[in-house]
Formats: sequence, structure tokens, C-alpha cells
Amino acid sequence: MTVSAKTAAPRLGRRERYDPKVVTAAFILIAPTIIGLLVLNIYPFFDTIRRSLYKTQGLGPEVYVGLKNFEKLFTDDMIGHATINTLLYMVLTVPVGVLLSLIFASLLNSKIRGRDIYRGIYFLPMVVAPAAVAMVWRWIYNAENGILNIALGALGIRGPSWLADPNTALIACAIIGIWSAVGYDLVLILAGLQSISKSYYEAAEIDGASGIQTFFHITIPMVSPTLFFVILMRAMSSLKQFDTIYLLINTRNPAYKNATVLMTLFYREAFEKFNKGYGSAIVLYTFVIIAIFTAIQFISEKKLVHYD
Amino acid sequence: MRKLFAILLTLCMVFSFVSFASAEDVTITFAFWDNNQEPGMTAIAEAYMAAHPDVKVEVQVTPWNEYWTKLEASAMGGSMPDVFWMHSNQFFKYVTANTLLPMDFEYDYSPYPAGVTALYTYNDVHYAVPKDYDTIALVYNKEIFDNAGVKYPDDTWTWDTLLETAKKLTDADKGIYGFGAPNDRQSGYLNLIYQNEGFAFENGKSGYDQPATQEAIQWWVDLQKVHGVSPSQESFVDMGVDDQMQAGKLAMCFTGSWMMSSYTNNELFADKFDLAVLPQGKTRASIYNGLGYAGAASTKYPEVVKDFIRFCGSEEANKLQAEKKAAIPAYAGTEHYFTDNFTAINIACYPEMIAYGVQYPFSPNKSLWESQEEELMNEVYAGSKTVQEACNELHGIITEIEGT
Repeated sequence: MTVSAKTAAPRLGRRERYDPKVVTAAFILIAPTIIGLLVLNIYPFFDTIRRSLYKTQGLGPEVYVGLKNFEKLFTDDMIGHATINTLLYMVLTVPVGVLLSLIFASLLNSKIRGRDIYRGIYFLPMVVAPAAVAMVWRWIYNAENGILNIALGALGIRGPSWLADPNTALIACAIIGIWSAVGYDLVLILAGLQSISKSYYEAAEIDGASGIQTFFHITIPMVSPTLFFVILMRAMSSLKQFDTIYLLINTRNPAYKNATVLMTLFYREAFEKFNKGYGSAIVLYTFVIIAIFTAIQFISEKKLVHYD
Repeated sequence: MRKLFAILLTLCMVFSFVSFASAEDVTITFAFWDNNQEPGMTAIAEAYMAAHPDVKVEVQVTPWNEYWTKLEASAMGGSMPDVFWMHSNQFFKYVTANTLLPMDFEYDYSPYPAGVTALYTYNDVHYAVPKDYDTIALVYNKEIFDNAGVKYPDDTWTWDTLLETAKKLTDADKGIYGFGAPNDRQSGYLNLIYQNEGFAFENGKSGYDQPATQEAIQWWVDLQKVHGVSPSQESFVDMGVDDQMQAGKLAMCFTGSWMMSSYTNNELFADKFDLAVLPQGKTRASIYNGLGYAGAASTKYPEVVKDFIRFCGSEEANKLQAEKKAAIPAYAGTEHYFTDNFTAINIACYPEMIAYGVQYPFSPNKSLWESQEEELMNEVYAGSKTVQEACNELHGIITEIEGT
């Protein structure tokens, strides 16, 4: 690497045409990403739309059925349950998760000893495979031998059968979701906090602002672009939640109806019942829901997010 | 360094030469999903290769879930393994897509359980040779019986004996239940349905509207809901019925023969349990299911594949797989090679029950209604539907899906 990128690139004026050689080179360089996107994301997206209009039967030929899959979608009880559960899951995980991340990030932003160690510990759940996370939590939630119910028992409370009780199953899954995500969100928010210029705080101190005032009038507005990003990503991923719920709640679970979400329903339809057409319809339906929420967030961004 | 490189290069050349040389021989691939059965399958492949030096059989093991994804993808891409295990849940999908090689040779299917042979027959053509079968038996914890001074289960037992004994052995304070009755079809209430002379699904028709069928399911549900001799369905979510059995929390439960390696490998439990045939209702019955050896329609060597599958189905190959504890061999008369591996327990009751065994109900669209059955049963356990309501609803669903 003796030639720096700067000297290699030709200097271009504003209206000058690009050197075809450079353009070719650029295309070659971005080709792996573009091809990957086309093959793995864009083509499957359009193929999903096509498939949603077909009925798949095993390996046999697909039959065109028009909008039948969508008709079924709106009469299927399970879709209703799954939609409510998915939205509930988002409401349970996003506010609490982001708030916890913000609190922990603020604490880590102060000068405390062993900050990197804490950061590492909070980040750990992110590194662990979801299947392993599910296994560990299955034991924590075990009604008789689980550490959670043993702890509650010591306080004289008889804990429920967390993953099998229709009232607690979704909450139990949401707790795992929050636990897994806090570490990652925290790192993002922490980076946002550290980029806030010290001079704002110094000025606030001179003006005699209290810690809480500083937090709400300086920290929150200054970190709001990062917060917005975190909330957006977290909302999307909570609407797409699949792995832990799929691993913990099966169809024999008494809480199945109360804890199944759109993505697990999609998987069961497409890959367990081999009904790929209907599965594709569920995916598109979820896509619309996510699009609506993302649009709402982008509209509110203009009012709530402060860019300096 | 340079020397090492030279050696590697030479080795590469030698290997490419070797593989080039063997390309003139026939190589067929043999795929299956059960890691525990690899020794048995390898033994069969080796025995075949010893008799046919010009054929090479390559054994491929892929875990259950990936196995079906891989097989589906390879079927679409026309690159299926030459020989592979087939399961009743998946057979219809592959046979209707013309991906299976017809077993159009003269073959004697009389040594195999008729249900397993029928399972892999479509439009009167055989598409697989039976490999093995499994049945359901009653497993019991000897320690719990001894402590209560109760006689062990035997072949005189009926539903009433089971319930009475389960009541005697249930000790809720100690967390011990007499019997484990989970929301389970194959190792659960399907056995009772046939013992009660009902049926679940036969000749394209649902039997869930039959009083005998509903009565049997009711009896199974009542074990928990009315008599309290079984732990709750919630507890089976945390710990499956076989895990509860092995943890000493259950005196009895039903379990399939495929679970025996798990039971006998559990050092803490291996000497504490034994087996008995299922208790009888109006009649005797035990659900059986079986796997088959199938071939790919796209294979380059159909004759070799057929010949290898013939060998897999032979008495000799069944003896080989049974000796390696693979599974109960499908070929009548070779079961003892399997049961001889387990001397401490009455494992012979598994093959014994094939005499009155009932083939695990099968339909081309089973995957579409099987999970709905589990969901409906959930509602029965939750108390929001009666057994009769759930069964009638299921009957409607199956009838609509199967179109009969």
C-alpha cells in the first residue's frame, strides 16, 4: 500500500465527466456488495410478492390463486392473535429497553472505575447465539427448578410457569428481548453521549443548572439523533422478532396463542406446513406494518430530534 | 518451507490422480439424518462395497432439520443424494413431484410390517423399501413401585388398572405423579383411540367425529384434569414427559422405542426403569411408524441404486443395523439382533406389539392439520373447549383440507 487513495484518484472538476476507467473500477469494487444485495435481498423481495399470489404444494408446480392468500389472511384468527402479540411485544420491549440503555449509558459515561469491563459485560448477551440464550432462559424460567421461581419462593411468592402461562409467556419473552438488546443499544448511545461537547456542560454548570436539568436540556436533545436511530432499529427488530420466541414457544405450549408473533407464524406456515404462498402473504403483511411504524417515526423525527 | 510445499503439491497430485482413477467406478451417495445410526449405516455400506468392489457408497449424515431443507433444495436442483432415508411426513411431497425412483423390481415385501410398506406405496408403485419401525410401550420407574409396594405393570393390565395404580402412586406433596399424559399424539392418545376401537384418520377420512375416538381422548385428558394423576401441560413445557420420567417425577408414561438410547444412556436412570406392553382397552393397540430407503429419480445409476436398496432391505443388512443398536429392524425375524443389545430391560415388548400394531395415521396433507390438532387440544386443556367441541372442529378442518 504505497500509493495513497488520494494520489491515485484523478482530480475532477465539478462539471468534468468521470473517467470511464475509474467508473469501471468503482463498479468492480462495489460489485460484490451489489450482487449480494440483488441476489440475497432484492430478488427475494420481488419473488416474495410474486409467491404471495400463488399456492405452493410441496415440490409440485405453483398454482396462481390471485388474492386468495390475502383473503385468508384477514379471516385467519391466528393472524389477529399474532398481530396483537407482535405489537404488544414492541410496546413491551422498545420503551423499557431504550430507557434502560440510556440510563446505563449515562452511568457509564461518568468517570467510574472499570468502565470498559462494565461495557463488556453489558455487551455480552449480544455475542451469545440466540439458541444458547433461549436454552439458558428456559432454565431460568423453569417453574419448579428455575432460579427465578426459587428466588421468588424465598420471598414467599409462588412464581408462575413463566413460559407456559398464557398471562406471562409474552412478558417472559420480552424480558429476554430487552436483556439481549440493552448491551448493543447502550454502546450506540454511549458513543452519542461521548460526542457531546464538554463546553455545553461547563456553560450549564456556570449557570447553576442541576444534574437533572442538564440531563433533560442538554444530554437528551444532543443525543436525540442517536436515540432516534436506536428506537427506529429496535422497533423494526421487535416487529421482526423470531428466534427466541420460536425456540421457546411451540404449538403444544398452552400459551401458544398468546405468545406467537407474525414471524413465527410465517415460519410455521411456510416451512412446517409447506404453504409458501400463504407464508409470503404473511411476510408482506408484516412488511406493511413495519413500513407504517417507520413512517410514523420519520414524521415524528422532524419534531423531536435535534440536529446541531 | 519450500520442501513442505513440494510435499503438499505432490500429495495434491496424488489425490487428484486417485480420485480420477476411481471416477471410472460407480460412486453413489447415501444420506440420512440420525447420528446414532451412523455405525449401522456404515456397516451396511461397507458390506455392500465388499461384495461389489466396483461400487463406492458415500455415507452422508445431516441433522434432521437441515436434512429436509437440503433434500428439498437438492430435489429442485436435480442433485439429490442417490439413496436416502424417507419419512412418512415427507413422502407424499417427494413422490408427487416425481423425485423418487420407482422400486419397479420384483421384491418380496412380506417380511415387513404391512403399514410401513403401504406408507411408501403410491398409485400401487413402491417407492421405498422399509428400513425399521418403532412402537410405543409403557415405561415405569421400578423404585417408585417398590417404595409403594405396588406390583409392576404386566400384560394383563387394562385402562382401569393403569388409572388405579396411577392414583395409588401419585404423591402430590413429593411432586410424584402416577402417570405422564402430555398433549401428544404418537406417544399419547392415538394409542388409546385405537385401543377403544376408534380411529383418527383412515382411507382419507377423519375419525374425530366418532364417539369411540372422542371417548379415548376424553379419558386421556381426564388423567390430568379429573383424576390429577398426571402433571399439568405447563409442566411439560418446562420438562418433556421423558425428562420428567428420567428425573424420577413420574411412575409411568408411554414412550417410543426411539427413546431407548436416551433412557439406557442415562447413567442415573438406566437401572431404575423397565418396560411393559401398553395396557389394553376394548382391544390391544400400539402406534407404529417406520422409515424407508428411497432412491432419487435423478440418479445417474438407477440400477446400482435399486440394487443397493435391495441389499439395504435384505435380512443381512437388517441384522447389521440391528446389531449396531440402530433401530428395530423392519425385516421380521431379525428383531432379536436389536433386543439382544439391551439385556437388563424387557425391550422385547416393542417388537412384540407389532402383532397388533396400528400404523401411525398418515395423509398427504397431514402437516396442514397436525399443528391445528395440537392447538385445539391446548384449548381443551385450558378449559375453553370440551373434547367433543374440539374433536368436531378438528373433524371439520381435516375434512375440508383432505377434501373428502
